[in-house]
Amino acid sequence: MKNTILYLSLLLLTAMAGCNKFLDKEPDNRAKLNSPEKVSQLLATAYPGANYMAFAESSTDNVADRANSNTPPNETRDPYMFKNVRSTFEDSPEFYWHGCYKAIAASNLALQAIEAAPDKQNYASQKGEALVTRAYAHFMLVNFFSKFYDPSTDNSSPGIPYVTEPENVVIKQYERKTVKYVYDMIEKDLLEGLPLIKDEAYVVPAYHFTRIATNAFAARFYLFKKDYAKVLSYTSQVVPTTAVASKLRPWNTSYAAMTRLELFNIYTRAIEPANLLLCETTSVYGRFIYDRFGYHVNTFRAIGIEVPVITTNTVTAQWQFAYQSYGGDNLVYIPKLNEYFVRVSVNAEIGNAYIMAPLFTMEEALFNRAEALTYTGNATEAISLLNNYLSTRVYFYTSSLHTLTAAKITAAYPGTLQNGLINTILAYKRMEFIHEGMRWFDILRYNIPVTHFVAGDTSPYSLTEEKKVFQLPQTAVLSGLQLNPRKD
Amino acid sequence: MTKEKFNNFVGSVSTKLLKTVAFLLLAAGSLALNSANAQTAEADITGTVQSDKNIALAGVSVTVKGTNKGAVTNAKGEFELKRISGTATLVITLVGYNTLEYKLTAGKTNVSIRLSELVSTLDDVVVTGFQTINKKKFTGASVKLKADDIKIDGVADVSRMLEGRAAGVSVQNVSSTFGSAPKLRIRGATSISGDNKPLWVVDGVVLEDLINISNDQLSSGDPATLLGSAVAGLNVNDIETFDILKDAAATALYGARAMNGVVVITTKKGKAGKTQVSYTGNFSTQLKPTYNEYNILNSAQQMSVWGELERKGNLGPSLLSQSNFGVYGKMYDLMSADANGNFALENTVEARKAFLLRYAKENTDWFDILFRNSFVQEHSISISTGTDKSQSFFSASYYNDNGWTVADNVKRYTLNFRNNYTLSNKLNVGFLTTASYRDQLAPGTLSRTSNPVSGSFDRDFDLNPFSFSLNTSRAITAYDENGNREFFRRNFAPFNVLTELENNRLRINVIDLKLQGELGYKFTKNFKYDFIGSVRYVRSTRQHEISEQANMANAYRANGNSTIAENNKFLYRDPDKPESIPEVVLPYGGFLNRTENQLLSFDIRNTVSYTQTFNSKHVVTALAGQQVRLADRQNFSNTGYGYQYDNGGVPFTDPRILKQTIESNFPYYEFTKTADRFVGFYGNVDYLYDRRYSISVVGRYDGSNQLGSSKTARWLPTGTVSAAWNIDEENFMQHIDAVDYLKLRVSYGLTASLGPARNSNIVLRNKTPNRPYSTERESVIDLVNLENSEITWEKNYQLNFGIDYSMFKNRLSVTVEPWFRKSFDLIGSFKTSGIGGEAYKLANYADMKANGIDLLVSGQIIKKKDWGWKSTVTFGYSTTKITRIKNEPLVFDLVKPEGGNMEGYPVNGLFSIDYLRLISTNGTPIFVNENDQPNQAVYLQATGSDTFLIYQGQVDPKFTGGFNNSFTYKNFTLNAFLTYQAGNMIRLNPSFKNGYTDYDAMPKEFYDRFSVLGESFVNGVQPAIVDRVTAAQLSGTYAYNNYNYSTARVAKGDFIRLKSVSLSYSLPIVKANKIGFNALSFTVTAINPWLIYADKKLEGQDPEFFNAGGVAQPIQKQINFSIKAGL
Repeated sequence: MKNTILYLSLLLLTAMAGCNKFLDKEPDNRAKLNSPEKVSQLLATAYPGANYMAFAESSTDNVADRANSNTPPNETRDPYMFKNVRSTFEDSPEFYWHGCYKAIAASNLALQAIEAAPDKQNYASQKGEALVTRAYAHFMLVNFFSKFYDPSTDNSSPGIPYVTEPENVVIKQYERKTVKYVYDMIEKDLLEGLPLIKDEAYVVPAYHFTRIATNAFAARFYLFKKDYAKVLSYTSQVVPTTAVASKLRPWNTSYAAMTRLELFNIYTRAIEPANLLLCETTSVYGRFIYDRFGYHVNTFRAIGIEVPVITTNTVTAQWQFAYQSYGGDNLVYIPKLNEYFVRVSVNAEIGNAYIMAPLFTMEEALFNRAEALTYTGNATEAISLLNNYLSTRVYFYTSSLHTLTAAKITAAYPGTLQNGLINTILAYKRMEFIHEGMRWFDILRYNIPVTHFVAGDTSPYSLTEEKKVFQLPQTAVLSGLQLNPRKD
Repeated sequence: MTKEKFNNFVGSVSTKLLKTVAFLLLAAGSLALNSANAQTAEADITGTVQSDKNIALAGVSVTVKGTNKGAVTNAKGEFELKRISGTATLVITLVGYNTLEYKLTAGKTNVSIRLSELVSTLDDVVVTGFQTINKKKFTGASVKLKADDIKIDGVADVSRMLEGRAAGVSVQNVSSTFGSAPKLRIRGATSISGDNKPLWVVDGVVLEDLINISNDQLSSGDPATLLGSAVAGLNVNDIETFDILKDAAATALYGARAMNGVVVITTKKGKAGKTQVSYTGNFSTQLKPTYNEYNILNSAQQMSVWGELERKGNLGPSLLSQSNFGVYGKMYDLMSADANGNFALENTVEARKAFLLRYAKENTDWFDILFRNSFVQEHSISISTGTDKSQSFFSASYYNDNGWTVADNVKRYTLNFRNNYTLSNKLNVGFLTTASYRDQLAPGTLSRTSNPVSGSFDRDFDLNPFSFSLNTSRAITAYDENGNREFFRRNFAPFNVLTELENNRLRINVIDLKLQGELGYKFTKNFKYDFIGSVRYVRSTRQHEISEQANMANAYRANGNSTIAENNKFLYRDPDKPESIPEVVLPYGGFLNRTENQLLSFDIRNTVSYTQTFNSKHVVTALAGQQVRLADRQNFSNTGYGYQYDNGGVPFTDPRILKQTIESNFPYYEFTKTADRFVGFYGNVDYLYDRRYSISVVGRYDGSNQLGSSKTARWLPTGTVSAAWNIDEENFMQHIDAVDYLKLRVSYGLTASLGPARNSNIVLRNKTPNRPYSTERESVIDLVNLENSEITWEKNYQLNFGIDYSMFKNRLSVTVEPWFRKSFDLIGSFKTSGIGGEAYKLANYADMKANGIDLLVSGQIIKKKDWGWKSTVTFGYSTTKITRIKNEPLVFDLVKPEGGNMEGYPVNGLFSIDYLRLISTNGTPIFVNENDQPNQAVYLQATGSDTFLIYQGQVDPKFTGGFNNSFTYKNFTLNAFLTYQAGNMIRLNPSFKNGYTDYDAMPKEFYDRFSVLGESFVNGVQPAIVDRVTAAQLSGTYAYNNYNYSTARVAKGDFIRLKSVSLSYSLPIVKANKIGFNALSFTVTAINPWLIYADKKLEGQDPEFFNAGGVAQPIQKQINFSIKAGL
């Protein structure tokens, strides 16, 4: 009897081994990461497929209450009133959180596949992209969901979990650690990844971290860290030394002749050289621009028509943007971000909306370089860069009238030239990136006060320190995270 | 209710019942008293022997007991015995039949004897597909149904026959279109997001689905549902029995697939003896629906509502820029000048009035136009023959339904060939071949898409004649005054439903082939080896043919003016030319879209079994075995653009339509493959002591690749212990005559099923990114699911009690089965912290409790020579409660007609928006919104909905069952069968909208609407038709849509239905023989003749049917005439 049991178990074991092979067949045709090309394909999804513009822009001084009868979407109303955003759908902070972490998961999977590959050396450029994308997604997360980095403090407030390996359990516990830790990790990944990046590895470079886009990212990173020497060094890889203007969006030349739909068509297109990195985001922000809280006609009158500093009592300098602004009643918009609507089937009325978001542009790199030049005492070069910029933005640009000078700056902003120059940069940037959410970071960096009014409400809504940090998703507590202290 | 109280309850009910029945029986028995006078003279006896199916039996040996006298029956079943004792006992024997002893009555020289088939001993065994077990020994809960008993002549789908026949088996006919599956549940839902459908097993082999239709999809009306019924290819006449296995003990050998119960079908085998040929013919007609069953305004009433709409500015000339219009749009169209500056209709009050008056008087009967009293015929012939050494059974059938609507028809052919050979006393083999082919035509339809923004389902180009009739106003016409077809506008193109149905159709072909082999080898008397292996191949093609005359094709060519061109979504605008006017990209032809599904499956099983009886008291049975199963499925579909049906079938494809398709990110062809691999090991030991105590232990170890290629998640052990006590075999029971059979059963076990998750390893899939310019696209790999190393099968523990009781010589039998089930590790979608990269994960995150009771009472109330009355009541009760689920459903997920899932509520609970009242100033509805405030707007995409939604009840019925009565008088049988269900709620059809069109039909509720009379409002129960200003204010609130999903639009799902009434007459043998038959019988059946009770609020809406459009049709009234003949 004993022997029978033994034989039976032996038989069973061999049978089981055979069965395991039989059962190794995948249930469906799923992809395997077994070549550098496939890892590259996976890395095409290592960019946050979510959009921050709605909640970032709505929290800035670029928007006001148009008091129209539209039902304001929660995605813009809540950040406008500095409340926790109730929505969890596209364009909410929560959706952006999920988008960033999904991108990180793709990066980590790619790194894991590279580590397991027998021919690691063939994966160098993939490793570069994986590290840089991982750094980028964490960088955006920490800036939105943690206290903003300030080199003058120890940055010991809670950061966000820096994830470096793929999750394989239903609920995993994570730690927030500190903002400093997150910034250190970003720096490490970024610096390790940057030299590995190879543009030739990309099929559609505009949607990937090319060398130029990675340098632009590094420049933004060090700008936030206020390490201006590094900003100069990285922007030198982005902003050309000659013919800078030719790399900027041609607003007062070819754009000037375009219709609304043509502008929509070019602004977020890969063939536009100013777009250093584009990202496909699931977003209905394209519609929010026409909703209740947005670019108001009064704001337009204040910042959208006359070019600050250049405009004086004697000189008229108008933004080309003013001639490409559309709207009615209180509503103004510039045709930049067009919705790409993908219906669920040929005959459906419903589908998903996408926006191709320009994450890094030549203009931002130019402004970052100008800012770093200003702080490193090279005002002349900074002004020269800004003049290159203005030559593409001023309506009927005439260099004799419209050249920016130190004198004009100090006249417009009394005080030091450095201070005046920074204010000039911030003002130009504000207009340049209207609708795009970039103003939010300048508000954080320079503590620019924001106050919003809501029609029918007597008391205004002000941006407090606590409200500068967006709330984590409620479900983050499942993974052992502490929510941010903001109440509502 | 505690268990103790519960038992008391059951006890008291059954006692009362027994008393009543006993009284009835006593009364009947006293009538039957007769006396016999003893005589002992010799006599010549003649007689006939026939089977219990009235077939004359030849070759029957008739011997006189105690003598050597005897005779054999001739071909007509006749025999003659000369000079035997008038009170002798005859012994009648035939292979395959029960031996009968017949005592002669003095003075009676002509006798008619019936032999019962040995097969009917199947009554006493349970076929599990793995084993055939004596009922005495069996410890599980199962129901045996004989196909002949439950067959409703004229119903082609096997699964529908089970409705109301077995306690605890619920069948909801969500659609009756041929090929679609009913919602079949054994003891309610076991899973939340997985399938709840039972496993179908035919002759020992699991019948794999060609495509898996999910719970929600069943009632969606999508074309794929026509392939939903696994048993659509089975010929009903080939089926011998059904064994429905309900509890863990009964299904134990199916292990990790049997969580939802098992239906085992045993088909007929050839029999030794004379060759038997039988023919069954069914001829039926399905009746056209009529308007008095439904709740629709007639054309004059409709026109008056439109009048109000027009006064409120809703039906103005702006209709001309709309994609669809009806009567009013047509009027404005005719009022605009043609190319020559002529007006077809003058813009005068008189001319307009005359124009509209015609439609007001029309009262179109869409049912009459689109439906017909169909003719369905089914012919089935079978030949059974054999000797002791080999038996064969052959059958072929043809089913033809020429269509209840003008747009559908079905033909089905089946073939079944089965041979069994006894090669030696140790070895026997069997072969089985079945084949079926189906050719079906259905109205062209597309899959629906759910629109969570407005909370509705969209389906463009819906042509379903049934939903068209219900949704199209009776003031719209199919023909103009001259009898020519009249067209209105749909998708900017002319539309006439008859033309469209001729030019837009779906052709479905299914081929299903199965080969099966069986082998049995007896090593010794006690030790046996069995092999069963089968291969099955199924292929279906769905060809959607849209000709160039179809509205769907013409919609691609509608660019009459620039407004139309701008608004027509089927035109193409080159992304490089954003300011250009959209262009036509389908200049010629229509579409030819094909979808092809294939299934190839293998199933192989090896079993060794051992049976031994010790000291004639201890019976031990043991078996062990192994199973390997494989199912490869593939699905291919493509869209053929510009196929020219009228021009020799040559495609003309404009390259821009492909560009449009690709730029819109629609796949223009698709191909997916899935592979299912399954391995199982099983063992079973049964022990029976002294026919009284039986105990059974089953263990099974299953492996599947469905969870993904992780080596740990794929294996799962399951097992069951069960016991039975045959109380009637106890010595102390031998003197109690009231009890013929009394058995107590209990079983407890673990069963499982695979949930919908497939990610025990990471799931990556290529996709094309959603970028607007094709030059900026690249193939990318998307992370679909993270690895979940903790994933496991959905499982449940089941506890089942059973009492089987029969008395009065088995004339009354009762089965009561309370059951308790705890499902756990159910797979649900829940929201994570997202840090891993997957915001919503499918994980084993839900638990559920379910319990219920199954009750069967069956009685032969009257059993006399010429007449009898047999009655059966089945009753099933089940409740479910989700005890843990971490999902976050949207409001829309909970209010939709199919129901949603929330912790603390039953599976598929129906929730409603809390309707408060109508606003007295304009008659628009107001609700409690997500912030607990009265508001017209309710955000259907909100989460956290449990706080403000009203729970209405469950969508699945709590009580289901049937009541069957069968009366026989001589050769006549009258059968009446009722089914019922109760305890569920139904969402009413969504009829209310912010704005109405000039072509949609409105229900009669609109007569009760809030309306304006001069300056004042007339109070009504239903919301008002709003003017344009109010409509503009309401836009974005979806108030009227919310009303559709509110507490005001819910009805009870309870119903009692007379499912069938049939009268049959079988010719007496002698008469049948005279005209050359062994047996001949005729049956007239009325199917679904009467919905006896349903909630009045439903106003004609069928409580079982989900009017989802597409290919869905409600169950029909049908009259069937059936002939059965034996040769």
